[in-house]
Amino acid sequence: MHLHPIETVKDLYNYLYIAIQLEHATIPPYLTALYSIHPGTNLDAYNLIRVVAVEEMLHLTLAANMLNAVGGTPDLTGEGFVPLYPTYLPDGETDFKVGLEKFSIAAIDTFLNIERPAEIDNSKGRATGLLKVNRKNTSILPSFKTSDGEELHFHSIGEFYSAIAKGLEKLTKELGEKTVFCGDYNKQVTPEYYYSGGGDIIPVHDLESALAAIRLISEQGEGYEGGIYDYEGELSHYYRFQQIKLGKYYHKDDTPGKPSGEDLSIDWNAVYPIQSNPRLEDYPKDSELYKEALVFNEFYKTFLKQLTTAFNGQPSVLLPAVGGMFKIKEMSYKLMRNPIPDKEHVNGAPTFQVDSI
Amino acid sequence: MDMNKEQLNVFLEMSTVLTAFSEYELKGTGQLEAYFNTVVEIVGQGIMDELLNAFAEVKKIANNNEAILNKQLRFQLLSNDKLGPITRNIIKMWFIGSWYQLPNAWRENYGESQKDITFVVSANSFIEGLLWPSIDSHPPGAKAPGYGTWTNKPQITEL
Repeated sequence: MHLHPIETVKDLYNYLYIAIQLEHATIPPYLTALYSIHPGTNLDAYNLIRVVAVEEMLHLTLAANMLNAVGGTPDLTGEGFVPLYPTYLPDGETDFKVGLEKFSIAAIDTFLNIERPAEIDNSKGRATGLLKVNRKNTSILPSFKTSDGEELHFHSIGEFYSAIAKGLEKLTKELGEKTVFCGDYNKQVTPEYYYSGGGDIIPVHDLESALAAIRLISEQGEGYEGGIYDYEGELSHYYRFQQIKLGKYYHKDDTPGKPSGEDLSIDWNAVYPIQSNPRLEDYPKDSELYKEALVFNEFYKTFLKQLTTAFNGQPSVLLPAVGGMFKIKEMSYKLMRNPIPDKEHVNGAPTFQVDSI
Repeated sequence: MDMNKEQLNVFLEMSTVLTAFSEYELKGTGQLEAYFNTVVEIVGQGIMDELLNAFAEVKKIANNNEAILNKQLRFQLLSNDKLGPITRNIIKMWFIGSWYQLPNAWRENYGESQKDITFVVSANSFIEGLLWPSIDSHPPGAKAPGYGTWTNKPQITEL
């Protein structure tokens, strides 16, 4: 599958489906690193990662709101929606893979790649958007094809969203705002169904609210116009993770890459020694670990079904679904505290394989 | 403290019989080593050896017969003046996360340890107490189950 610039409403659906998939794809890696930290240790890093994971859940919900606003149907249950880790991100970046790993420098490096800022073209002072790179691997995920057949890749998530913004503007101009934003407003997730979730939920019903949602997603991730803060004055995800790598907090007027605040206390050893990118077949079939990893996957599949229901006209289902997130945490801890039988010092972890169920 | 892996496994197995929770669930609390160490620190390695040997003996007699295992456990461990109070303390630790001071009679007969006072083993041991999953609830102030989930009926699985 290839992406091309948005020309039709169908293209728009495609992009927004990928946006939902993309936002979701970041969550299992963040949660895996987060829950691998021994409770009560690494509090600075724990809180930084937790807040980012929660904001990704907000982004996921905003992407669903956008798709609903333009009359599409969010679906988190289709085959391939949850990637098999390690994977490329669905927006077509092919220079790094995202995997399920314990809290480590390697994991933080991956997180920095996920949230990296757009490439700034200094001559024009704005983002260039797409990169021409040689593909070494065959990606199952879409890349971008220009009208003259050139294959390009998005360098950052922000650039992917900026392509959506351009498409929305173009279609609104061509077809009229009412035609584009024809979705049922009752399907919007509004603040009453979404609590303490890393920012304000924005119900989307016109171009202005759609662009506001895109702005929130991009700036929470990467910062605003090359700065380290978003327009709400919050440090963006990229620079939050960079603090973990550099061991120092950013201070209000710092320049990118040079945090001058207090030290973070990080103990890379206070972490459960989980297997990277685990699969069910890594666990002996007759073990409790296997059984419980399967229970986890079934639970996660049900959770995605609940989200799909919530995004298709029953937003109140979001409340019990969020309750399920807390259970996911407890189930993850149990898996991560149990050694894989017959392996020395390697523990289990959730595999997030939902398609095989 | 250097922990004997074999002893730790016997302690784990004994704990599954004492609590009716599986090895997976017990390891899943992350408290196994902490509870093992607590017992050794308070009653000493010698008495811990005695306890684990007694359990091994019970297991041998039971020969995989659960009814005999339960009976022998009551007879050889729980009813034993020396081992009984420790065994009960291990059950309480798993469920509540606290060590309870041993009875005076025990302390007079088998030696007082300065460390033998009632205390919460750790902040996490309180949170990981088996009491909470037993009643499908959550420890006050931790493991919050999410807004509105209190309207759901408790789901208590049969052990």
